[in-house]
Parts: sequence; structure tokens; C-alpha cells
Amino acid sequence: MKSDKFTDTEFMICQAARLLEDNKTVFIGWGMPQVVAMLAERLYTPNITQVFEFGAIGPRSRTPFLRGTMGGPQNTYRSLQWCSMGLAFNYAQAGYIDYGMLGAAQIDKYGNINSTMIGKSYEKPKVRFPGSGGGNEVASFCWRTIIVMNHEKRRFVERCDFITSPGHIIDGKRREEYGLPEDTGPWRVVTSKAMFDFEEESKMMRLIAVREGLSVEEVINDMGFEPLIADDIQTLEAPNEKELKVLREEIDPFGLIIKK
Amino acid sequence: MEVLERGEAEFHFIDPDNFRKYVRERKNRSWEDKLMDESEAVKKFVSDGDYLAYDFSSLTRGPQSLIREIIRQRKKHLWICAKFTLLESVLLTGAGCVDRIDVGFLGFGPYIAKKVQNGEVKVYDWSNGSITYRLIAGAMGIPFIPARDLLGTDTFKKSGAVVVKDPFAGKPVALLPALNPDVAIIHVQEADVYGNARVYGPTVATLETAMASKKVIISAERIVETIEFRKEPNMTLIPYYLVDAVVHAPFGAYPGGTQGYYEMDAEHYLMLTSIAGEDEMQKYLEEYIYSVDSHDEFLEKRVGMRRLKEIVRKAEILEGFR
Repeated sequence: MKSDKFTDTEFMICQAARLLEDNKTVFIGWGMPQVVAMLAERLYTPNITQVFEFGAIGPRSRTPFLRGTMGGPQNTYRSLQWCSMGLAFNYAQAGYIDYGMLGAAQIDKYGNINSTMIGKSYEKPKVRFPGSGGGNEVASFCWRTIIVMNHEKRRFVERCDFITSPGHIIDGKRREEYGLPEDTGPWRVVTSKAMFDFEEESKMMRLIAVREGLSVEEVINDMGFEPLIADDIQTLEAPNEKELKVLREEIDPFGLIIKK
Repeated sequence: MEVLERGEAEFHFIDPDNFRKYVRERKNRSWEDKLMDESEAVKKFVSDGDYLAYDFSSLTRGPQSLIREIIRQRKKHLWICAKFTLLESVLLTGAGCVDRIDVGFLGFGPYIAKKVQNGEVKVYDWSNGSITYRLIAGAMGIPFIPARDLLGTDTFKKSGAVVVKDPFAGKPVALLPALNPDVAIIHVQEADVYGNARVYGPTVATLETAMASKKVIISAERIVETIEFRKEPNMTLIPYYLVDAVVHAPFGAYPGGTQGYYEMDAEHYLMLTSIAGEDEMQKYLEEYIYSVDSHDEFLEKRVGMRRLKEIVRKAEILEGFR
């Protein structure tokens, strides 16, 4: 197996998995975040507690990842607790959940994200997506939200067509002013080309690392707005052989997520 | 309390006193055998124009046989609660049963997206959490519940929530109107003939949905004696006096799975999610729903023993499910 060949999805999964901390709680959504958590649990954070919105706390990941396992025996295996959705969100609202992980169709420079619709008319959208799901709660309640998304120009916008879930500053007002919990919000954005954080004062998205082999310019050219740029840009190392082996042979041998 | 902002959507709402009155007069506290087939249950308890809620999803422990029966009886003008669900909204919309959808998660696939894009069905955006909290308020018999989600977003603007200045902490907080559905359909592993029910696995909003709804139809993989509940009272999720009808429905969540009984049928599920156009949708509905009389006939003629045996065979994980 060659480790210099990997998909963008594999790249993002590995970056996100390296970001998580051990002995923390993380709110996990459908699809790619499930695979990120499995990889992290296997290689980096064996004591992380995964929380699922339908009411599973701390399941032990079973591999391989199978299609449609959201809520079934496979992804609730050996949980610490089975509970209701109300309780799962209450854990987050009361401050017990450290990390959340979300995807996004669009994002703006303050980390507001859109997973609802594209177009000018809400009533007749150009493209309609499934909507918030539990995303709004994850982005509102978790201490640190990690957003994982493909790096395409059209996804980085000045103002999302629809703000499904809140970032740091929304239409000129800070999230705390809207009543959202203090010290929460987007923490990192992981894309297929780069990684961003949010600058302390302005709360604007800031480029902090680029994918091995890419220049800062190449990354920024593929964005619809100009992010801040950190003084010291790190390099995002490609997935290593161990990560790819675990991903391809143990976690997702059917390629349901990683081949996308 | 000072109202700071109002969402613009209309929302289903029942005054808590009206709901209490309904519960007092219409919810049956006598120990009556409520076992009936799905056709009778849906005929009696689902009406055109109802606000319909269902629990869990088309992947796991969803009330799919009851959804199919609602489609078979060609119910109209439903307002549905699509919270943490996947294909229910797609099928009900494809069958023309639905006018309005409260969205937590709209459902998968190109078909439902196109319906919304064409303006053929009206959606109101909430979120899984806010709809759950609304059901909790409905189950508590209170008019609204404060919460800290939706705030600041377009999701809020397109919902029916309001933001007020909280009189205790002095910060803005969202107030979510209670949700009391007209009818709830819920699939469980075990129920008795009176409607006592329990589930194994995560509970999503099963109890809250049943408590908050005027009419409740339970379908169950297995009908058990009442003594089973008295032996393990910690496991009772739904007490009988919330329930109007009990349907014995083995494989009731098919093509989804039910913990401890069978896994989902991935092939059938994929076929469903790939439906994009109107012709394919109508062909599916004809083949799997309209052309059979009942869930039993659906299982016999459209699924078959070989397929059923396969999904039972795959349900090897039993920990926590018995």
C-alpha cells in the first residue's frame, strides 16, 4: 500500500482525528464524523467519549463501519448509557460536551454554516439540503466545534445563503449577544487543502496550516473570501501508512465514506 | 418579559388547557384490549389534516408498516414532524399525503429536495433539538420551553420560536412553543394489548412524543403479558393510558432494523434513497404499498422469507436488547 495516494476525504478524516483530545467528550454526527471518531479512538484518543444525538453515550466503536448504522446495534455497541435525544442535547446545553463535529455546504468568515439551502429564495431554493438535523445544537452548545468540509471556492462565501448553525459573529453581532452560551463556537475548520482557526479578537477565520505540497496562495485562490493568515503557517502532513491501513482495512473496508 | 425577536413561521399549537381537557375526556384509563390490525388503527386514529409525529428513523425502529398503511389509505393534507427521520417524509410526500413539514432533518435523497425546490411542499425549518424540546414541553403540559439553540440563525427566523430577555439571567433566550401532535405512530419491541410498551436501545423522543400526542398508535414486534412490565418496571417506557391502539407488527420497521430482532435491509434502503423522479416514486409506491392489502401481504409477496431470514440472521448483537 502506498501512502502517497489517498482521497481528499481520507486526508480530512486524518487531520480531524489528530485534532481530538483524549479524555474528552465529543458530539458525533452522521457519516464522516463517525469515521473520524473511530480512527481517533483506535490510534490517538482511546478514552474519548462519543455522544450521539439519538441517545447513545460512550459506545465502543465496532468495525467495519456499515451503511445505515445510525442508532442501530452497530454504533450503539457497549454504550455507557442509552437515553433520549432530549437528554443527549441537555448534556451539551449544560456544558458537558467538549467537542462537536459538523459538515457544511457553505461557510462564511465567522464560521456560520449552511446545511439548509442554496439560492436567493427560501420558498423556492435552488438546492435544498436536509437542514439542521442536530447541527444547530452542536454548533450552539459544544465548547469547541470542528467543521470538516471540501475546499471549494463556492463553499466559502461572504454571507451564507442560509445560516443554519451559528458562528462567532452573525450579521455584525457576536454570538453571546444573541444569548448563545459564552466561549463556544467554531474552533477549527478542516478542509481538503488547509486548516483554519478563528483569530481571538476579530473572530475571523484565519489560515493556520496548508496541505503538504500546496502554497498559501493556492489555498486562498480557492476561497470566496480572504481569510486572515497566521504569521507561522504549519504544514498538514499527509495521512501516514498506519492511519490509512486502519482506515482502509479495519474501519471502512467497503469504502462507504473514505472513497467519496 | 420583553420579546426581542419573533420567528416568522406558523406552527402547530394547542393551548395546554385544551390538551388537558382532551386527555381527561378522551385518553382511556381503563384496562381495555386495544389490539387491532394496522388498517383499523389508521382508519380510526389518523385523519386527513392531522399533525403527524413518528419516532426514531427509517434505519432503526421506525414505524414503517404504519407509514405504509397511512399511504395505502391515501390520507391527505398531513402536517408532519420530520425530526431525526430519513425516508418517512420522502415516502409520505411522494404519496401526496403531506402539505407541510416541520424539519429537523428533512430526509435523504434527490426526490424530497426537488419537491421543496418546486414549492410543492411547504417546509418550516427547526432542528432536531428544538423539535425535541417542543415535544418535551408538550409532554409536560406547559405552553413553551426556554432553550439556547436556534439563537442568531436563519433557522430561528424561519421557525416559530421567539427570543425574549430571560427574567433571571437577563440574557436573550429562545422560547419554543409546545408541540402536541394530533397523532403519533411509534414502533417498539414489546407491548401488551393495553398499550404498555418498552423499547430496547436509545429512546430518541419515544416517551415525549407519546405523552404529547392526542392519539397514539403503537406497533410492536412482540405482544407480551402485562406481568412482563411488572417484573421489570424500570424498563416500562410508555404506560397504557397514553395509547389508543396496539398493532402486532413483526418486521414493522422494515426496511429498517429493530434492535434484537433484525438488521436493516441495505439493498431495499438503497433502492429507496436512489429514487429521484416522479415515475420511479410512483412505481415504488404501487409495487410495495398500493398493490398489497396489508403489512402481512407486503412481507409475504414483496419481501419474502429468504430476505427476512437474512436480516434476522444478521442481527447477532443482542447485548442490551433482551
